[in-house]
Amino acid sequence: MIRGGRSYVKSPPSFSNDAKKLLVCTGNNVSVFSAATGLQITSLEGHTAPVTTLIVVPASSAAQKILCYCWTASLDGTIRHWDFSGPELLKTVDAQVPIYSMVIPCLLSEPQQLDSSKLVAYVSVEDTSLVKEGSKELRGHIRRFNLAKERLPRGDTLKETEEPKSIVISPSGEFFGIHHKCKIHVWGVPSGGGSRNALAKKMTLHHTKVINAFAFHPTERIIAAGDVTGRVLIWRSFGNRKLALASQKKNARSMVDLDNPGVRDGDDAESCTTWHWHSAEVNVLNFSSDGAYLYSGGREGVLVVWQLDTGKKKFLPRIGSPLLYFIWSPEPTLSSVVCADNQIHLLKMPSMEISRTISGIKPPPSLPKMYEGLSSTVAFDRSSGIAALCTENYCVQLYNLLNDRGISEVQVCERNHQPGDEITVVVTAVALSLDGSVMSTTEVKLPEDGIGGLVSLKFWESEPDNKTFTLSTIVYEPHKDAGVSAIAFHPTRSMAVSTSFGGDFKIWVCNSDKSQTEKDSSWICHAVGSYKKKPMTAAAFSGDGTVLAVAAENVITLWNPVKNMLLSVLGATLTPITKLCFVGKSEFLVAASNFPKPELSVWNTSKLSLSWSYGLRIEAVTSAVDSSTFAVLALVPKTFRKSKSKKNIFRGRDGAILLFNGSDPKPVSIWTVMKAQGGSISFLEGDKSQLRLAFVNGSHEYVVFDPSSDDTHERSAIDYEGLVGEEETGDFGYTSLYGQLPDYDKKRKEDAESLATPFISSERPWETIFSGSTLNFPPLQKLCGEFFESLMEKSNSVVE
Amino acid sequence: MEDELRVRLNDHQPSKIFPVKPKSTPKPLSKPETPDSRYWSSFKPHSVPNLVSSVSAVAFSPIHPHSFAVAHSTTVSLFSSNTLTASRRFSFKDVVSSVSFRSDGALLAASDLSGTVQVFDVKERMALRSLRSHKAAARFVKYPVHDKLHLVSGGDDGVVKYWDVAGGTVISDLIGHKDYVRCGDCSPVNDSMFATGAYDHTIKVWDARVGNSKWIAEINHGAPVEDIVYLPSGGMIATAGLNSVKVWDLIGGGRMVCSMESHNKTVTCLSVGRMGLEGENRLVSVALDGYMKVFDYGRGKVTYSMRFPAPLMSVGLSPDSSVRVVGGSNGMVFAGKKKKKVRDEEEKKKASVMTSFWSVKSEVDESRRRALRPSYFRYFQRGQSEKPSKDDYLVKERKGVKLTRHDKLLKKFRHKEALVSVLEEKKPADVVAVMEELVARRKIVKCVSNLEEGELGLLLSFLQRYCTVERYSKLLMALTKKVLETRGEDINGKEEFKGILRNLKREVNQEIKIQQSLLEIQGVIAPLMRIAGR
Repeated sequence: MIRGGRSYVKSPPSFSNDAKKLLVCTGNNVSVFSAATGLQITSLEGHTAPVTTLIVVPASSAAQKILCYCWTASLDGTIRHWDFSGPELLKTVDAQVPIYSMVIPCLLSEPQQLDSSKLVAYVSVEDTSLVKEGSKELRGHIRRFNLAKERLPRGDTLKETEEPKSIVISPSGEFFGIHHKCKIHVWGVPSGGGSRNALAKKMTLHHTKVINAFAFHPTERIIAAGDVTGRVLIWRSFGNRKLALASQKKNARSMVDLDNPGVRDGDDAESCTTWHWHSAEVNVLNFSSDGAYLYSGGREGVLVVWQLDTGKKKFLPRIGSPLLYFIWSPEPTLSSVVCADNQIHLLKMPSMEISRTISGIKPPPSLPKMYEGLSSTVAFDRSSGIAALCTENYCVQLYNLLNDRGISEVQVCERNHQPGDEITVVVTAVALSLDGSVMSTTEVKLPEDGIGGLVSLKFWESEPDNKTFTLSTIVYEPHKDAGVSAIAFHPTRSMAVSTSFGGDFKIWVCNSDKSQTEKDSSWICHAVGSYKKKPMTAAAFSGDGTVLAVAAENVITLWNPVKNMLLSVLGATLTPITKLCFVGKSEFLVAASNFPKPELSVWNTSKLSLSWSYGLRIEAVTSAVDSSTFAVLALVPKTFRKSKSKKNIFRGRDGAILLFNGSDPKPVSIWTVMKAQGGSISFLEGDKSQLRLAFVNGSHEYVVFDPSSDDTHERSAIDYEGLVGEEETGDFGYTSLYGQLPDYDKKRKEDAESLATPFISSERPWETIFSGSTLNFPPLQKLCGEFFESLMEKSNSVVE
Repeated sequence: MEDELRVRLNDHQPSKIFPVKPKSTPKPLSKPETPDSRYWSSFKPHSVPNLVSSVSAVAFSPIHPHSFAVAHSTTVSLFSSNTLTASRRFSFKDVVSSVSFRSDGALLAASDLSGTVQVFDVKERMALRSLRSHKAAARFVKYPVHDKLHLVSGGDDGVVKYWDVAGGTVISDLIGHKDYVRCGDCSPVNDSMFATGAYDHTIKVWDARVGNSKWIAEINHGAPVEDIVYLPSGGMIATAGLNSVKVWDLIGGGRMVCSMESHNKTVTCLSVGRMGLEGENRLVSVALDGYMKVFDYGRGKVTYSMRFPAPLMSVGLSPDSSVRVVGGSNGMVFAGKKKKKVRDEEEKKKASVMTSFWSVKSEVDESRRRALRPSYFRYFQRGQSEKPSKDDYLVKERKGVKLTRHDKLLKKFRHKEALVSVLEEKKPADVVAVMEELVARRKIVKCVSNLEEGELGLLLSFLQRYCTVERYSKLLMALTKKVLETRGEDINGKEEFKGILRNLKREVNQEIKIQQSLLEIQGVIAPLMRIAGR
């Protein structure tokens, strides 16, 4: 089983001391990437919940640069100390409360005389003892922990807020602070660390707008803050009064009466200036390591460099996505900017060129309401395990699911990233041919006030052995004004079909002449068909390509794709069909319809009759090419999920993958999954003739597993029962149509129980499924066993 | 593999700017240019003053510079192939039917409808010989390809005559045709062999050495033969009769090799042309339907076809394949000439050799001038046009995207100015592209409402002109409506907009009419198509 597609951008990454490695928080692990190649080297595994903070112990001298120690804090309530060259876990400190942010000032302020007994950390935690009832509960605490002790006391609470805040520390280690609504709270770190009980002194800076980000100057007492409206505020000489050290106290008093321009509410700062450039919120603020420049960025996707003394600006424009973090490395020529689309760009510094990109799976685009559920935004290349995913910015990302690595990107629509605008151009569908050499996309330009608007269909072709697609053909308005509802490729020939809500479908063929070079090939319309002017909603080619099934609202029409002849019409379903899929090479055809009454029906095309049907809401259907198995991704209705007896089965999971075999209405296996809404599944047929099932969920996390491994059957037993119950109780018509399902083999279940007992399953196995590492995985058999055994525990609970 | 991956990971550069581009237009489905069509369409048309009446024959001199004779009415005009102007005229008593050059290009024979065959020196006006023996109109006269002493002629009396030119006597009367003899050609390999075609549908091959005036081969074309031409190998002939052109194998006993029937009217003249100096031979035919067709008899395919605005009577191609002359029935001569590249260069070289002899001194001056000093402007530009040598390592300059004015304005979010600037450029595709971009940014309505009066006029005149163009109409019609709705009070009653609005109304009305008539036609055709589909 392969899990991947985790977010690289949940928390800021960090460079190692020699700037050759970049440590990135990826779910429960910390992945170490090489800055030179952008490839993953190793990962630190051990946390059982997402890692939130990553602190690389800085080197005080050149000789120490090879040291690779880091501290991590996680939502599982532990703080861990690692040697990431190994990788090796050195120490675990249990804080018992979820940690959202942590700083260790003495690592920065006095790295020379680093004494482990004096390690004091300031952490932002969520007090889980308080029950969350409203927004008034102060659940977020800033606390002081002494990391030297194995077991932590509750710590001294410095500040309580509604929700946990991230702590920002000055590069010198003297100050740290949080931003809270319109205020910035700053604490001075007690010097020396000798007086353990000396609490940090606190001061507050006020602003009129909600502050989004702030940063400390590395050497001077300067704070830069960015607010939601895009202003950048610079407070100079803050804390002269309140945070002043003993030696400076006298001077501070004399300054009280001075007029401080721009400073509000008698805040403790000498002056406050405001810089305007950003049009939307500022998310990124960071001073350069020498303090001469300030980097800022935000929604626009533009990195702005301010010269601190003069306010002059330099830009790195068109990064293409909102910026989240900017991080400089110990090496002056290298820094990194992290974008919201799961990309980490490494910058060559003085010139600010993007030298390399660590590309995670991009998040799905936000679609306008009318296209939700209609579009098929994920396509799979079954042989190579590559998925084509529609993403933000009119791109299609090609992502290798087996390596967990981005391969390339196709800019479907050549438009510039424009932040803050409403979405007017949507890539609604992507489809890949069976051999992965041709891709087809549709995009819709929405009209403004009835003016304009355009639907276009594009065919892209890739060179063999090279997954970079080039545009082959554009078809403007393939079905007049009507939108394209589905695209399907012929399994063997270069032929595709597009269906439209306007009531027709078109068959496209590639007219690459032998005499012409491949680049001249283009796709032309071969035939147009329609059935009683009904909206065509889905299409599928049969396994051998001789039959084309097109759903005309609630009937299925079968066509000869070459001669464009209507062969026959399959009876009517209750509601419009949204998905069609032939089951391998067998005569069965799966149809799924969602609205208003969800239904999954299997049709026998040789008898032209309905074999069986379920009242399930289906998100995706896939079938294996050679065998007669098919899998569906079903959404489990909320009412069913919430019922008490099922709660421990689903635990926040909203969908289930059901594996069927041919005409048998009894699912072979069932797996429950999270975030199934907008998800997609597909069989992957690798070179080893090994059938694997890939599931990409609604937020583009994925898992690839072997559906036929033996352990799955035990797993299926539980959930199968659960679902049967649902069909009895719910308003779905399965039992009413087909009677009680046959009893599941009791014996097998008992086997399963006996097997399950010796293993200790983790508390929440499915919620952590996407957080594992992919590169250094234990063997598949072992993993599958563990995985399914972990699920077995629940079966016990159900049975008992 | 890893290396490859690294390269690919580097590939997608986010910092890209996409200028606004018009929609790509569909490429024509027709096949790309073939070598044939490229060659035959490369003759640059030259205007030749119209002649009086039908151009009955064209003949090229076999000797460089390949001047050509055009027979029209009672005159034969000699044209220079360099300038394509008439240099000399020979006049006759009757309409000239045929004209032929001797192999050295010094003499010219022509036949006229009075039955006389006359031989001229191309440099003199008066006829050298007048050969009278035909009892009816003479239809063709031909010099054998290398023989300078004899002539072949034929006419309406059905007799083919083999002449001794010097003595002005008939050597042999070749009798066999049962109808008017219309054409003939001499074998390119044997000076005593020639073929004639007549209205009795037959082609007869004669040998002057055979005494008994009997033909040695006979071919039936199946239609009155209009023209006949030997193909360069000498073993094959091509004949034209009615709409068909047929190619025959003489050595193989008169077997038909292929036939071409793509003309719609009677084929009047044939000619063999070579494509360039080393190219293949092609058979060129002209017909009364006004088409000149190029026939690849090797593959049996028409490779090029060209239409002229008159029925065509004659065609001629110069032996160096640089000039093509087509004669029409109304006296028009369509002359085409290829550009001479090689020779021009040679001439230039010759000229440069001549000048270099005189310019030794100036070269010295030049070298002195070349030592640039900072006082010259060129000093600061020196080396800019330097070309890299082969083993130099080229540091490539990064190419920036060249932005047009409206792109720059769009980049700065100055939407209205962008729209106005693109409207001023008068490129409709670009204007529509900018409008689409504005729609995508949800700004077009705002732009329209912000336009000032002059700019509104600019927009209205654009809309008036292009809103019914099919490619843009979907966007522009809606926009026109919007403009008229939102800016109604500004447009109303303004003098300068009156004309535009009137035109706009007319255009829209016209378009509606067209659409209606198209619908009517569709209504007529649809049932027919349905019946045909059954």
